[in-house]
Amino acid sequence: MRARAGRKAGAAGVLALALMASGCAVGTGGASGEHVDYSHDRALHGELSIMGFSGVDEIATTRMDDAKKGLKGVTVKAAEGDFDLQQFLSAVAAGKPPSLIYVSRNQIGSLAARGAILPLDQCIDGEQIPKGDFIPSALAQVSLDGHVYGIPEFDSVQIVMANRTLLDKSGTKLSDVNGSDWDAMSKAATALSAHSGSGLSVIGVDSKLPEFLPLWAKANGADLISADGRKAQLDGPKVVEALTWAASIYKDQGGFGAVKAFRDSADFFGAGNQFATGTLGAMPMEQWYVNVLNDVSPDAPMAFDTVHARGGGPIAFASGSAWAIPAKSANPEAACRFARIMTSTQAWMDAAQARADARAKDGKPFTGVLTGNRAADEKIKPMTAGAAAPWSSAIAAMYTADQHTFSLPANPADAEFTAAMNDAVNAVLNGQKSPKDALAAAQKQAQQALDKGWAALERKK
Amino acid sequence: MVSTTALPRVGPATPSELAAASTVRRPRRPDPRRIIGRILTLTALAGLSLIFIYPFLWLISASFKPRGDVFDNRLIPRTFTLDNYVRVWQEAPVGLWLLNTLVVTVLAATTVTLSSAMVAWAFAYYRFPGRNVLFGLVLATMMLPGAVTMIPTFLIWNGVGAVGTLVPLWAQNLFGSAFYIFLLRQFLLGIPRDYFDAARVDGAGHMTVFWRVVLPLARPALAVTAVFEVQAAWTDLMRGLIYLRDSSTYTIPRGLKALIDAFGFGGEWHWEIIVTASVITTVPLLILFAVAQRQIVQGLTAGGLKG
Amino acid sequence: MTAAGAAVVASRRPGRRRMHRRESAAAFLFLSPWLIGFCVFTAWPLLYSAILSFTDYDVIQDPSFIGGENYAQLVSDPKVLTSLGNTLAYTALMVPLHVIAALGLALLLSRAGRAAGVFRTAFFLPKMTPPVAVGVLFLLLFNGQKGVVNGVLSWFGIPGPAWTTDPAWVKPGLVLMSLWSVAASVVILLAALQAVPREVLDAAAVDGAGFWRRTFGVVVPMISPALFFVIVVSTIAGLQTFDEAYAAFFGAGNTTYGNDAALFYVIYLFQQAFQFLHMGYASAMAWLLFVLIMAVTIVQVVLSRRLVHYEGRESW
Repeated sequence: MRARAGRKAGAAGVLALALMASGCAVGTGGASGEHVDYSHDRALHGELSIMGFSGVDEIATTRMDDAKKGLKGVTVKAAEGDFDLQQFLSAVAAGKPPSLIYVSRNQIGSLAARGAILPLDQCIDGEQIPKGDFIPSALAQVSLDGHVYGIPEFDSVQIVMANRTLLDKSGTKLSDVNGSDWDAMSKAATALSAHSGSGLSVIGVDSKLPEFLPLWAKANGADLISADGRKAQLDGPKVVEALTWAASIYKDQGGFGAVKAFRDSADFFGAGNQFATGTLGAMPMEQWYVNVLNDVSPDAPMAFDTVHARGGGPIAFASGSAWAIPAKSANPEAACRFARIMTSTQAWMDAAQARADARAKDGKPFTGVLTGNRAADEKIKPMTAGAAAPWSSAIAAMYTADQHTFSLPANPADAEFTAAMNDAVNAVLNGQKSPKDALAAAQKQAQQALDKGWAALERKK
Repeated sequence: MVSTTALPRVGPATPSELAAASTVRRPRRPDPRRIIGRILTLTALAGLSLIFIYPFLWLISASFKPRGDVFDNRLIPRTFTLDNYVRVWQEAPVGLWLLNTLVVTVLAATTVTLSSAMVAWAFAYYRFPGRNVLFGLVLATMMLPGAVTMIPTFLIWNGVGAVGTLVPLWAQNLFGSAFYIFLLRQFLLGIPRDYFDAARVDGAGHMTVFWRVVLPLARPALAVTAVFEVQAAWTDLMRGLIYLRDSSTYTIPRGLKALIDAFGFGGEWHWEIIVTASVITTVPLLILFAVAQRQIVQGLTAGGLKG
Repeated sequence: MTAAGAAVVASRRPGRRRMHRRESAAAFLFLSPWLIGFCVFTAWPLLYSAILSFTDYDVIQDPSFIGGENYAQLVSDPKVLTSLGNTLAYTALMVPLHVIAALGLALLLSRAGRAAGVFRTAFFLPKMTPPVAVGVLFLLLFNGQKGVVNGVLSWFGIPGPAWTTDPAWVKPGLVLMSLWSVAASVVILLAALQAVPREVLDAAAVDGAGFWRRTFGVVVPMISPALFFVIVVSTIAGLQTFDEAYAAFFGAGNTTYGNDAALFYVIYLFQQAFQFLHMGYASAMAWLLFVLIMAVTIVQVVLSRRLVHYEGRESW
């Protein structure tokens, strides 16, 4: 009995030691990829595993088909689901990252700073990707420290969407709710809103905090972060002013809690959406919502305009996605070529045509698509000519806005910066802090995170 | 507090006691108070059950509604449709997910029950130096937040090449779990030592005693352990998130999250899909539990005299 | 001679040591699964995460040693304080309600006779629902304007608060939602209740004790080990609450719902580890949580020596 027990102990010990030894953590290595040949005419083979691309509509599938054709010889496998950072990390830690990832542009900065993705300069040169075709603000979002780390895909801009009937009823002009005059917009919020016994029955104006704080800050002339991505600028007086005003829109209508609860219970994507049921006056919203409205409530009384800077012209806060190549990608050449084709003008045109055909079959107008690729946008725009009012004004607003976009430049602490910003806004909306205090706290947090991120980047060099 | 010396022993009855009890005839007095009490109890239980079931009924009814109706809070759908189920089945390999989850759950439950029983038995019966200290250590691990060991554990599994497989989702259960060890140990302590001493004096080896005497006696607690672990393994999201990569290996919670990403907040708020997927992934477990319930009840009543 | 007697006699003989050794060896055999698991999956990770807490580590690159910086940051990070406060408040609210609800249900079930099985299934239903779905359900059912909960409250003329948005009501709402999953404790307490010998209850009834006296003076002490177990376990669980709150308030694409009132400690830890890629800092946070849980549990154990009544058997 004792001998057996003793042997058991020994075996257990050895097993434990072995597992401990193998469990020694090492980093899986930062960026490499120095000896990759990205020549555009090189024949490719092998497998291409993609993570984070979950598109199922014609815009996605048409381009995927084009890309697969262009990558003859390569087996393309796209994992399901949106990009999940944990999944990606665990794949990286296991030494088997995907060959290509599809992420939100505002994630590129921190991935690049950590060496998780490759700089794409060689890829762009080799595959002859027309860098100049991409919208400047999109490129700024994917460039860190002078290198490009992502190939932009899609551009999402805001336009003002309003309920024409409600505007007319209260004598409000469209220009009162497009942000060019903040006082007018506040008055419109009160005028358009309505209350019933249990709370709100109509939301007058929704300033869409916290996501659109950068929009209102820029409309007031302030940038939330310096152009080189190093300094947070969250506590400037213009930013405080913007936050105070945007939050006051909610206060004037009964408080953010009431508005949000009412907003949440709306059938946002269905026939009973807020515009169709006349329960929302106006709000800035990303342009893809136009398609939804057109689909489910084509008869809603809509009015569209671009968002305007305070006392100025159109602006829009752009966001979107991008293709990036992980550092230890097994097939960076195929990844690069895939990204090129997916964002190429030809592929976009094919996709737009497929979408237009599908919409025509349903008797619905084609409302365009913002690709992030200027050349493609110009070719696609004429395809939208058949749309009737009010959708034509939406399309016009969308393309105009696309010409006046700005974005938050890439930085090594994207997630924390956004979190600090959102925390500040939420604190104000929930009545926990004043705008000045909230933004001051956020500034501290954000700057700390940025400093750490840049320091780590410098250390790597 | 009631003094313990005057009380009879707690726990399973010996055959002689059972025989004695059955010969005592208790006169049946239809006590009106008891009947009223019974009715009140059952009413209260029925009401509470309704509250507990309602969210689930809401889920089920929502799964049969078209997208726009999902939030109308009606229990009977205005428009009844099976489209959601068809769609979910087409959009995702739900059958495969169910299978994966079943495999993981069965493995997790059986291994943890057996291993925890072994360890609990050691603590409950054997006397050895450092026993209390070691048991304290076991309990201390119960206090260990999963977050502390999450990353290093991942690196261990990574080192043996198990990341991407289902193994990390259940294999740790081969080594017991503090919660169940605690539970089983408490239960075993409630059984008089005489049972076990008697078996050992009869010459049975340690393992034999364990298999032939301890496990059968511990059946109610084992059943409870198994059921709890089935529930935990079936709904475990964190491990699926960390270790599974290919959608063909997903378990239910991981798959559900993928669906929510694709169709919920990140997607176009297709709540009818989310709701339907939730129903599909919960129903099998319900059936399992409904069946296992009977076993538990049998186990509990076979285990002893409930008075 | 009884077995006990034989053992006593044997212990006085020189064979005693041999017998103890055989006991220890057998015990060791049965303990071995846990011992191996402890070394590999607890001791080593603990050690390693302690080391990690002194580094800056993002999985992609090697850990780099930064000394006590993480701990210094821990002390000065306002969100750590917020999340700790949230977690403690939630636990303090949840545990008593959880125990009372579980005890209540268990008592009811113990008197339901044969029908208990049906009701027990009903109570266990919510446990089968994946926590992700529960979180989403919370958002839908507790919505301030259209949720069912407020709908029912309005039947009684009570204007329901904005559970999902008002910071003052987010935690109570989450606590209520957590009560939905009380079944596990109910099962444990029910088993304990059913192990109370009928003679005890009958004796108390004969003594003239009324229902409440019987329940709280007699039954509760009899099941106090199980009660203690439920309290300890639900406290530990409460301090680590994550799944439902994360799904409801911090899931994918959910920035508009981010609510500081729902930022629990483990959620913040998770964010630090997997969204901000500060694994070292997250490890430091995890250790702080560990120490906290240990402290709380030790306090509970010390209190238990006075309050928990074991059936003449082993205590601690």
